[in-house]
Amino acid sequence: MLSRLMGVRKTTPYLEKLRKLPLFAELSIQELAILAALLHVREYVAGEIIFDEGETGQAMYVILEGEVTICRQGRPEDGFLTGLLPGEFFGELGLLDDAIRTAQARAASHCRVAVLFREDFNGLMESHLRIAHKIGRQLLRHLGERLRELGIAVGNHRHL
Amino acid sequence: MNGTSHSRAGPVVWAAIIAATLALLLVFRGTLWLVVPALLALLLYHALRPLVRALIFRGLSREYAASLVMLVFLATMAAVFFVTAPHAASQAIEWQASAERYLNGGIKLLQSGLRALEGRFDPFARAHLADVVARRIDQSGGLVEHLEPLTVGLATYLPSLLLAPFLAYFFLRDGQRFKSLLCRAVPNAYFEKGLALFHRVDKIAGAYFLGLLKLTALDTLTLAVGLWILGFSGAVVLGLICAILAWVPYFGSLLGGVLVIMVAATDFPEVPAMAYWAAGLFILVRLLDDFVYMPITIGRELHVHPLITVVMIFAGGAVAGIAGMMLVLPVLGVVRVVGETIGVVVMDARLLARHRHARKLRHRLAEIDLS
Repeated sequence: MLSRLMGVRKTTPYLEKLRKLPLFAELSIQELAILAALLHVREYVAGEIIFDEGETGQAMYVILEGEVTICRQGRPEDGFLTGLLPGEFFGELGLLDDAIRTAQARAASHCRVAVLFREDFNGLMESHLRIAHKIGRQLLRHLGERLRELGIAVGNHRHL
Repeated sequence: MNGTSHSRAGPVVWAAIIAATLALLLVFRGTLWLVVPALLALLLYHALRPLVRALIFRGLSREYAASLVMLVFLATMAAVFFVTAPHAASQAIEWQASAERYLNGGIKLLQSGLRALEGRFDPFARAHLADVVARRIDQSGGLVEHLEPLTVGLATYLPSLLLAPFLAYFFLRDGQRFKSLLCRAVPNAYFEKGLALFHRVDKIAGAYFLGLLKLTALDTLTLAVGLWILGFSGAVVLGLICAILAWVPYFGSLLGGVLVIMVAATDFPEVPAMAYWAAGLFILVRLLDDFVYMPITIGRELHVHPLITVVMIFAGGAVAGIAGMMLVLPVLGVVRVVGETIGVVVMDARLLARHRHARKLRHRLAEIDLS
């Protein structure tokens, strides 16, 4: 009874799936259940646009199934930048502010994504700081890695 | 491509927003028995939501936090009812007598004012203004005649008012799930815009209802302190009644002002200046309300031009009476956000094209093994 009162939950296949994602790896099942209530699961068919370059970003996307192509606007082949697989996430700068999307995201195959809206993440930081902190730390690690890669690519070693 | 949902609406969109607001009020007029408890439920929801959030923050699940908060609220209400009900029942007859006394005090003040006018201005004296008004008041009957239908009318609302805590409980428990359900209905192309829209609607409703509660508390406090300094008895009750009456824009404030002057004229018949002091205090509180309290409580979240606000209040009153006047501003605020967002989406050729493209892709996928 006490465990139910405190919201301790049994795991479900969906929560297990979320737990396997690197971004949410540090979260407990109870924390994942709280987060899951905020995530929006969307399905995209192959070739469908998830967001456009130049659009105002307001959410981050985590791939649950399928593949996503990040490319220059309208050029999935000659403007191909990277391909993302299940477990990877994109559009994370949309969680910080009204950042302009710097590339287009397209579904490379039929895919399912979990979407975390910025205002829900902000709400999470107010109501469940611990969960937001764990997600934020993973995000920072990821952004640090990108910064390092970028630094090596352009020969700027200030942030290494 | 870089469309934002904060773009300003054009005249066509504004015309649609005003028409939709009035149409909604027209619909509400037929379902007032549900609209009034839903409005109270929204007030209750926004008042109790911080407590539910605090409990969730302490580790309780949303379901249990909502149940616990609602149980405590209902228990408190029941305790207040059982403590005050016997006293209220024993005082009911006295209240009726007091109401008649204050009404007569107000009529006397009106009569003396009209007589003073007749003394100063000849046309009023020739028209026997005071006598005409006195005759009209006599013809309109006593307080009891009006009180009875009013009480019966309010009593018919009571059962539906019991819906308010019930609705508020489900708003608290399942609000997030309901929002997710609504989001699921939004096509992928408009998804981020849709999420932003739901957030803004929630923010506006929260700012309005929570702000209204804070505004009521501030109005009550200021009026009560002012009336207490002037020497009124029951200053807190009178302040609270005036603050609640102010929920009906303009007319509610006017009624509150009349009430305060009536009490002043009756309780201080030997000090005629007291009525003017009370009226001055009331005007001061209204000014404080408009220029200080309103911006710090309800805020400028509604962003509606004052001229449109005043016109819409009258239009709301014409369409759905007092409930229309009360509802018109929050409904206009929400419809404005929805209308502006739809306006932005409809004008965004890229989003429309993306939606058409996605539909084509899905259509093709559905037919893939049929040819």
